[in-house]
Amino acid sequence: MSPTIIWPRLTGSVVSSVAADPDAFLELRGITKRFPGVVANDGVDLTLRRGEIHGLLGENGAGKSTLMKVLYGLYTADEGEVVLRGEFLRLHSPQDAIEHGIGMVHQHFKLIPRLSVVENVALGEREPAAQFRGRGGLVGRLGRAFSLGLAGPRQRIRDLSAEYGLDVDPDATVLELDVGQQQRVEILKALYRDVDLLILDEPTAVLTPQEAERLFETLEQLTDQGLTVIFISHKLNEVTAITDRVTVLRDGRKIATVETADVTRAELAEMMVGREVLFSLEREPVPVGDEVLAVRGLHADNDRGVEALAGVDLTVHAGEIVGVAGVSGNGQKELAECLVGLRRSTAGSIRVLGDDVTGRPPRHFVDVGISYVPDDRYRFGCAPALSVRDNAAMKDYRQPRFGEHGLIDYGAMVAYAESLVEDFDIRGVTDVEAVHAGDLSGGNLQKLILARELDREPKVLVANKPTRGVDIGAIEYIRERLLEKRTDGTGTVLISEELDEIFELSDRILVLYEGEFVLETTPDATNQDEVGLAMTGVRPEDAADAVEPAAGGGSA
Amino acid sequence: MRLSVDVSAREDIPPWLAYGAPVFTVIAALVVGSVTLVAVGVNPLAAYVDMFVVTATQPFGILQTLTKAIPLVLAGLAVYLPLRANLWNIGAQGQIYLGAIVGTWVGINVDGGAFTIPLLLVGAAVGGGLWGAVPGWLRAVYGVNEIITTLMMTFIATLFTNYLVRGPMQGGSGNFPQSASLPQAAQLPFIVGPLHVGIVVALLLTVAVWVLIKRTRLGYEIVFTGSNPDAAEQAGMDRARIYFTVLVLGGALAGLAGVVEIAGIQYRLRPGFSPGYGFTAIPIALLGRNGALQVLVASLFFALVFVGGSTITVNYGVPASIVSIIQALIILFLITAEFVKQYSVSLGIERAAAGASVGEGA
Repeated sequence: MSPTIIWPRLTGSVVSSVAADPDAFLELRGITKRFPGVVANDGVDLTLRRGEIHGLLGENGAGKSTLMKVLYGLYTADEGEVVLRGEFLRLHSPQDAIEHGIGMVHQHFKLIPRLSVVENVALGEREPAAQFRGRGGLVGRLGRAFSLGLAGPRQRIRDLSAEYGLDVDPDATVLELDVGQQQRVEILKALYRDVDLLILDEPTAVLTPQEAERLFETLEQLTDQGLTVIFISHKLNEVTAITDRVTVLRDGRKIATVETADVTRAELAEMMVGREVLFSLEREPVPVGDEVLAVRGLHADNDRGVEALAGVDLTVHAGEIVGVAGVSGNGQKELAECLVGLRRSTAGSIRVLGDDVTGRPPRHFVDVGISYVPDDRYRFGCAPALSVRDNAAMKDYRQPRFGEHGLIDYGAMVAYAESLVEDFDIRGVTDVEAVHAGDLSGGNLQKLILARELDREPKVLVANKPTRGVDIGAIEYIRERLLEKRTDGTGTVLISEELDEIFELSDRILVLYEGEFVLETTPDATNQDEVGLAMTGVRPEDAADAVEPAAGGGSA
Repeated sequence: MRLSVDVSAREDIPPWLAYGAPVFTVIAALVVGSVTLVAVGVNPLAAYVDMFVVTATQPFGILQTLTKAIPLVLAGLAVYLPLRANLWNIGAQGQIYLGAIVGTWVGINVDGGAFTIPLLLVGAAVGGGLWGAVPGWLRAVYGVNEIITTLMMTFIATLFTNYLVRGPMQGGSGNFPQSASLPQAAQLPFIVGPLHVGIVVALLLTVAVWVLIKRTRLGYEIVFTGSNPDAAEQAGMDRARIYFTVLVLGGALAGLAGVVEIAGIQYRLRPGFSPGYGFTAIPIALLGRNGALQVLVASLFFALVFVGGSTITVNYGVPASIVSIIQALIILFLITAEFVKQYSVSLGIERAAAGASVGEGA
């Protein structure tokens, strides 16, 4: 771990550039940002070189986003300076940042779906239509004030697309574009404003592996042209794959800036978490038991009444983890909800341990031994405004151990909640009756939900993106617990977009695409590329002879 | 110079604020209300002492306050119970009318001897419960917004009462729009002075509702469903059954509020017998939303404001409308207290040159 350098604080009259790094073109010095009760950034220094891809790595809540919001003018730092080429910047808004050549692509895109690419890019930078240029009089003035000239911007977008290989049709409507293309529009928006520095906040979170690969190529082209890129992520494999240097943040402090080539993933993980992290979990062979879940020909509609599951067959045995891979929106949510009784199927059957449970209320699914870890933990997983005690017993409160004759023994419930907190190492719970579920951090809340669902000794566990948005330490813990239940004989349906997770945990892999399983395989018989392609609708047999995949796999 | 108003949610509510906020806000309401008293030439301090201190310390004032609190407690519980399931029973007023109609009819037409009073209470609870069951059923099965249906049911109930006391239930001497008087056996006996046994009913039901919410499985389900209906459904709770149950029980409590007012005080059904108890119940339930006992305390306070208000009307010749203004101010300020508790509001005046940094939260 390198020692943290304390920068001398520069006082008002002395304005000189003190650059320790001769290649530095932008420096953040001693950035401190406090929120009530938290120090989000505590004296963070960050030096960027021209033309590098700089990874910003840290767990959720480590202060990555806060630091970037300071740099992008969304927050004003309580202490510290931003120095660009020796000039001290005062950034009060993103507009200020853009004027100084700093652009940002947010995790959730800021695009207007109904407008075209060129309209989105030119938004806020309107040019009058060419025919009014240089025309005098009222007509000319009104025309210049209200007309929209898209010819110039369109040409500029074409030029930029060609220069950086972005490949976006300026006249396409944004809502017709896939996620990877929309991201390229966001990048174009920044380039259009002549930025030298591009901040990408978790850019791969929404992309398929192929789309991510494409993005990395784009980023390399950008840096070849002299742009600097800050790449925010908590995925180690991506950071090690594409960055030149990495800065690791933990608990609001900078731990170190290192050359990516000099460190291993394990070292980075240790810097991030503060302790050693296991990467490969021990997955002992478990004898496959009886069939616990049998789904036949399941059809279901989504919330808008459009068919989301088009005849799904799924069998899960005791002691088996079946991984369902797929890009969000291909029926995962509907599948999970059908399997726990929250959504009515339109056709087909679901049998648990041989009993037909199709069409029964959710309570019946709970009673036959199905546990559920929902992907939206705040909506379906807990009541955020109620205590840890109430949430811990949410599934089991009807059991006699929590009171008989329609009464509830809250003493027993408190003891139970405390035992879960203890057994699952749930942090931040000082008092199970006073602390609310919503007060817990994402990872700890997920542990609470998992604790509740696993402690019931479920026959079947439906886990939808169980590690989404939780810290690397909690991810490791959650995966270990899932494997532990596998040994205990629980049959698990693991729905995930993370291929690492699918490959690490699953005994069998199914790929869900547009409501159907397009590929069934095992981790040993396939690789991430094949599964990644199948997630975009390309079947292995098509991939073999087709160079240009027909289905939208990220290319336009 | 620039003025900035910063409103941010509090992370923790300090105890002094949680308990002090209602007190401070009531005082603030009284200070604002004193303007109206000064305008009519009355010393506000003396009037407030009479309104609160004298009323709350003299036996007659105390008994009056307790009596007045009876329908308010029951109606407050009628709003409170559905509120725990996050349903707004805006129509307690209508359920009060139904309870009064059924209770009065039973009292006049059924001779149950010693059982007349229990019969009339049960009848009123059933009547109010049915009036709550309609919105409850619509909400549970079709997801129809209960705020609208309970309110609409109130209009039906009040107009139905108007019809009954001019038609089928019209009674007594003369041709007044009122029912016949309840026979002696149907009148609630007095305990002390004006205080009738309705107070026992109110206290028992407060305890019953407390036990229901804090100790029973149904109570756990009600609170959980109220807090997050989606998670409750996932956990196997029957949302529809809970919504239906709380509105039926709420209606029954309101029905009892109606009948104790008739059988304890007025003895006849009249069109305007309830001076908005069902609506006053809404701020009562809001203030007491943390528990049935808090509902009881809030009801007592509102009863004191009503009784004390009549005292100063009499003692100082203050117009009744001014008393209404003060009462309204208190209610308004108490509701703001909830906001002040949840959010910290700070005003900042900055005399700085342009370019000074103003912190912003995104």
